[in-house]
Amino acid sequence: MDILNPYYLQIVTFILINAILGISIYITLSTGQMSLGNAGFMSLGAYASAILTMKLGLPLAFGIFTGGVLAALVALLIGLPTTRLQGLYLAIATLGFGEVIRVVALNLEITNGALGISGIPSLSITLGKVFNSTGLAEALSLDFQVAGQLGLVVLLLLILICVLTFQLLLEKSRIGRAFAAIKEDEHAAEVMGVNVVYYKMLSFIIGAFVAGLAGALYAHSTFFINPTDFSYHKVVDILLYAVFGGSNVIWGPVLGAFILTLLPEVLRFMADYRAMLYGALLVIMMVFRPNGILSRELAAKIRTFLCFGKKSPGGDRQ
Amino acid sequence: MLKLKNLVAGYGSIVALKSISLEVAQGSIVTLIGANGAGKTTTMRTIMGLIRPSQGEILFEGRDITKFKTHEIASMGISLVPEGRSILARMTVLENLEMGAYQRKDKEIESDMEKVFGRFPILGERKSQLGGTLSGGQQQMLAIGRALMARPKLMLLDEPSMGLAPLVVSEIFKVIKEISAGGTTVLLVEQNVRQAIKIADYAYVMETGKIVLEGNARDVGRDPRVMEAYLGGKQA
Repeated sequence: MDILNPYYLQIVTFILINAILGISIYITLSTGQMSLGNAGFMSLGAYASAILTMKLGLPLAFGIFTGGVLAALVALLIGLPTTRLQGLYLAIATLGFGEVIRVVALNLEITNGALGISGIPSLSITLGKVFNSTGLAEALSLDFQVAGQLGLVVLLLLILICVLTFQLLLEKSRIGRAFAAIKEDEHAAEVMGVNVVYYKMLSFIIGAFVAGLAGALYAHSTFFINPTDFSYHKVVDILLYAVFGGSNVIWGPVLGAFILTLLPEVLRFMADYRAMLYGALLVIMMVFRPNGILSRELAAKIRTFLCFGKKSPGGDRQ
Repeated sequence: MLKLKNLVAGYGSIVALKSISLEVAQGSIVTLIGANGAGKTTTMRTIMGLIRPSQGEILFEGRDITKFKTHEIASMGISLVPEGRSILARMTVLENLEMGAYQRKDKEIESDMEKVFGRFPILGERKSQLGGTLSGGQQQMLAIGRALMARPKLMLLDEPSMGLAPLVVSEIFKVIKEISAGGTTVLLVEQNVRQAIKIADYAYVMETGKIVLEGNARDVGRDPRVMEAYLGGKQA
């Protein structure tokens, strides 16, 4: 099984984590809020889970979940002032928040400063042990490392599906309709009786939770984190998943994460020209698809195409 | 039903309302007329809680709502049909109407929607169409339909005739009259003074942030100053 080599599996791992990150910013964007704080929330989740599992020896699942919860709690605090901000002002404020978190991580002892934390309990090793003890790895004739990584991919895929399903259900709910109305026209929504501040906070907090979760998963997938992992560079990456893939349909950020994580690997043969070509491709894409690859119209076409035969085209509305 | 007492409001250092007092009696149609920049829209926005007044108070059914938030005011039974209509362009007609009933949880939403389609058949025909693809007149109908979906006690209409063809304007005014007959109180801001005066019971005339004239709509319509300024000279 050549395709199951550790290198490929690692790329798939990053694609899945990045897809979750892309969804986190998509959730906040679904109320029209452009938050650039998701790298900050990601680092909160990553550090929290790493410290909880290493220093206190807590189980991984607990650490990861707590990482998300902590990010959500911090979002609740900073959201009170920031959700009142509009457009670029919100972007700048949340960008500043991310920087504050990074600098704090750089200076605290518990986060081990610029050196970062290494030897974080690994999800793939934990999962590998599970595979071994059940004899499943042997049955499939996989070695320990591959079995663990494969387990991690499956786990991340399941979490991604959970997050996707949650958001899709949310969009169909009363809350989702309020989100959509706020995104369209905040004042109009308010006049219709929608508590705009409440729903903007809600989407901000859910987005932060998902980012924190992704951060914790990242920490336990790479075993090593340092403050640079969550700098401006990451902010731009996360934003790009949504913008490049399409920020009006949930599959957009997923597609964006897939392409943008894979692209640097595919372009590896270009050596030093890799970053240049990557940048050029971004520019070309944005010229031809300014609303991202997956626009609402394209998504509707694909849906009609997939439903062809089952439902009459266009009959999926209402 | 609605009472404004010495209301002062503005944007930053610009004072747009210089101590406005007006009253809307239950079941009536009251119109607020005046030129551009007189402060009509600001009055509507202040009632809705979108602008905080610096002085004065707003009473709705005897309750002081001056410090209430917009969504709370909406839930109390005041619906605004905003200037420029504010249709949710990327939502369908149906979804726009559903949003209008957002704070309702009763079981009669469906039947109210049928009533809106009965009043505006064109909306029924286009219910799966996106709001942004409707014509101006249809959007105005949708905005009014959406406001009706909230079952308001008081409907605020901000220049519903703006930018519409004369034929559509008469239809909109006919509908406003019907809404009023159905028991909803109406406060109507208009630049189309002739039409507004025709359907209103009482009228206020605003100029540069002040109310300069008020009275029975018919009397206000006959006032030489109003005829001079808004009705194109002295006609019968």
